[in-house]
Amino acid sequence: MSYKKTIGIEVHCELKTKEKIFSPSLNNYGSMANMNANVIDFGYPGTLPLLNKEVLEYAIRACKVLNLKITRDMHFDRKNYFYADNPKNFQITQNETPIGREGYVEIEINGEKKKIEILEMHIEEDTCKSVHSEKNSLLDFNRAGVPLIEIVTKPCMHSEEEAVKYLEKLRELLLYADVSDCKIEEGSMRCDTNVSISKTEEFGTKIEVKNIGSISNVGEAIKFEAKRQEEILEKGDVLHEETRRFDDKKRETILMRVKETGNDYRYFPEPDIPFVHLTDEFINNSLSSLKRMPDERRIDYEKSGILPINIEKIIANKEISDYLEKFLDCNLVIASNLLLGDISAYLNKNNKKIEETMLEDKKFRELVLKLDKGDITNKIFKEILDDLMETDKSIDKILDEKGLNLVNDDNLIDSIIDKVISENEKIVNDYKSGNTRSAKALMGLVMKEGKGKINPSIANTKLMEKLDA
Amino acid sequence: MSKYIDLSIKEIHELLKEKKITPTILVNECFERIEKSDLNAFITLDKEGALKRVSELEKMEVPDDLLFGIPIAIKDNIMVKDMKCTCASRMLDNFVSIYDAGCIDLVKNHNMIIIGKTNMDEFAMGSTSETSYYGAPHNPWNKDKVTGGSSGGSAASVSGGLVPLALGSDTGGSVRQPSSFTGIVGMKPTYGRVSRYGLVAFASSLDQIGPMTRNVYENALLLNGISALDNRDLTSFATNEDFTRKIGESIKNFKVAIPSYFISDIVDSEIKNKVMDIKKLLEDNGVLVDIVDIKHIDKTVTLYQIIAMGEASSNLARFDGVRYGYSYDEPSSLDDLYSKTRRFGFGNEVKRRIMVGSYLLSGENAKIYYNKALEIRDDLQKNFFKVFDKYDLIIGPTTARCAYNLGENGDNPLKSFMDDILVMHANMGGFPSLSMPVGFNHEHLPIGLQIIGNLRDEATIYQLASFIEKNIDEDFGGVRNEL
Repeated sequence: MSYKKTIGIEVHCELKTKEKIFSPSLNNYGSMANMNANVIDFGYPGTLPLLNKEVLEYAIRACKVLNLKITRDMHFDRKNYFYADNPKNFQITQNETPIGREGYVEIEINGEKKKIEILEMHIEEDTCKSVHSEKNSLLDFNRAGVPLIEIVTKPCMHSEEEAVKYLEKLRELLLYADVSDCKIEEGSMRCDTNVSISKTEEFGTKIEVKNIGSISNVGEAIKFEAKRQEEILEKGDVLHEETRRFDDKKRETILMRVKETGNDYRYFPEPDIPFVHLTDEFINNSLSSLKRMPDERRIDYEKSGILPINIEKIIANKEISDYLEKFLDCNLVIASNLLLGDISAYLNKNNKKIEETMLEDKKFRELVLKLDKGDITNKIFKEILDDLMETDKSIDKILDEKGLNLVNDDNLIDSIIDKVISENEKIVNDYKSGNTRSAKALMGLVMKEGKGKINPSIANTKLMEKLDA
Repeated sequence: MSKYIDLSIKEIHELLKEKKITPTILVNECFERIEKSDLNAFITLDKEGALKRVSELEKMEVPDDLLFGIPIAIKDNIMVKDMKCTCASRMLDNFVSIYDAGCIDLVKNHNMIIIGKTNMDEFAMGSTSETSYYGAPHNPWNKDKVTGGSSGGSAASVSGGLVPLALGSDTGGSVRQPSSFTGIVGMKPTYGRVSRYGLVAFASSLDQIGPMTRNVYENALLLNGISALDNRDLTSFATNEDFTRKIGESIKNFKVAIPSYFISDIVDSEIKNKVMDIKKLLEDNGVLVDIVDIKHIDKTVTLYQIIAMGEASSNLARFDGVRYGYSYDEPSSLDDLYSKTRRFGFGNEVKRRIMVGSYLLSGENAKIYYNKALEIRDDLQKNFFKVFDKYDLIIGPTTARCAYNLGENGDNPLKSFMDDILVMHANMGGFPSLSMPVGFNHEHLPIGLQIIGNLRDEATIYQLASFIEKNIDEDFGGVRNEL
């Protein structure tokens, strides 16, 4: 009989609010060390915490997308422990009244849907960032007081695939809820996992693996850890509760510390922050800015005929997906091709965001429509791209100036088609004997003859009429 | 030597307005007295800063603000920018504040002149000011006696005529008990009335800054000056009222309660008799005075110890030698830095309270003790509300005994808590409570009367207090007359 793995995951996410949770210092990753810190962040004597309402709004949005029940009456607690990165030697967190309880994230595993149950989500403050050198340790208070949410699952996953899928889905949801940028490499999303194995219904010994550097490494860490535990048990040895870390280079977990019985954090309610009551109005306001979640968007993309591979490319690029939300009534295949292709390339090359270009919503909408109707061709679009992005000229004006207006003249198109038909008797005969692909070849020749400037949709219609006549 | 600072603030203000005196004269008077005094009332003096400040004031037109130019002493656990803030502890012996407390902003806005920082029990833990790293202050009425505490230096500085105004802080009686011991008026306002921003926290849910003055009117005036909504303290509130407005109004038909516990055998008979004299005075003037029983009123010392020490153990955790204050020189590890810094930086009483507080919050104890204490505290507050349904005010003695000899408590921690047995209720319930002198004992040491009001009802306390003050034929300024 084989061992069954049981996995629980704790994720810390930094909320990207403008200011810190308990002080008006800026919450800004990448500033010069200790620039975003004031007397409150330093844990200076006599200072008191404030409460940034924006943090509550963000946390409420996170609750919503993780299907958590919101705790209407909540308070903060002090978690007391001494460490150099903990300026007050207590952390303000939520022990008794986490803002969210009993939620889930739905994943798809081997074609089947599964709900990963979330026990709770609470709000807390981040600690200083420590930088250790041989001689000493330095503290960066920019991170002290950055708002965090901690999301704790039940021990309900049984494979590394589930764990990885859960984390990918969680990351996607939090990203799309605009609460966190979820960058593991910058520490704005941190994953700890608990792994145990057992042959019976009872849980085995819980081993914690902390601070794993990427989602795929979580999978590897679980795989390694389960195998390591199995080897120990098979030898007849006993496992002890302990905390390990995943070594990125060695690809294995390494012991950090053995767990002592019952960490004593001496929790008690934070007396400096009055208890919080979340009203309907506050919750509704917090949710009003919530955009559509990726699964809902995927349905629209599928319906519009976007290729599955492109759907995932769009979802992976939230900026593009958010942009597309404004053009759901347009031809999404054309719109998404433009955005994923030439426009992305342009933006990358020029290191710009789409909002920073002259491509206004109205212009983009017209562009998609013109391509859809065949008023301009892809070739022409490429020629006018720079002008579209960099000038406030209308599409028609650009086309006029560049002499790129498509020819709609019936007589001219007719004469071109007649010429192509008369010069390519063989292909025409192929078509007539049932090779439908030959029509495409003829159409290509028509466009070539017209130097790419004749309206392809008119030309196509006329060509087919003549061939089928 | 001139004696302008012994005049009432109103009189001083008139003289300033008429340009008969200048703020400089007042400041110089204060420093002359302080330099001559042997009360050990101050830890830090700022003569240079004060003189610089008054020289600026002298260029100004005197505004219609009675507090303009009046010297004030600040307890040394309240942050004043660029001045030391030691909390009377070795831990902060060389600590200079880089910001002003919320109430100090207001003190400066009113152009009061900060003379210095006053002596106190270390981190406000004690009731005699003897736990100060700088030695205890002396009671101006008898220098062998304690001033009480923890705001003992502020009490001595006002009582001894060194300054007309002072600020103290009161977590379990630390403004009122020393006020009682030194014969001055001290108010612990409603919790949240004065911003705690910049007050070094002892027990956050109980701490409150309060005015300490020579008489009732000036107390209300100073409270006007230091109370305002402060966005930096989430427990702060404001009602924008004038606390002097009811002073002088009739107290006829007032209803006043005396808790039976407040006149039980725990109280010295001389003090009890004085309270009964006040009862008679009030009854003779149309006030209904009833003796009432209040449930849980005898449990406050226990409640206080659990809540205050639990919170203190957490609040004082930040003093670890890593960022500021005393730091042990050659630690062998981070843990060694913590333990040696705190071993040598804190005094015995502080360490004792941190240890007890840590124990009380530890593991299951938090539920057994701390949470239970919070429940009983709620009940106690409700029981006081019931009294305030029927009565305007509650009165009783401030302390169970008068000032005693320095050193008498020894190292007995329980004795010191017993000094505050009658004043902690106000902190537990958040109620405003004032102590005022109403007489002397056989050693000619002041006896204090306590008046407790309903939440946010300081004005009514001042109304009754000023009536009593006017009708007592005793001279509590006597000690200052000798100067």
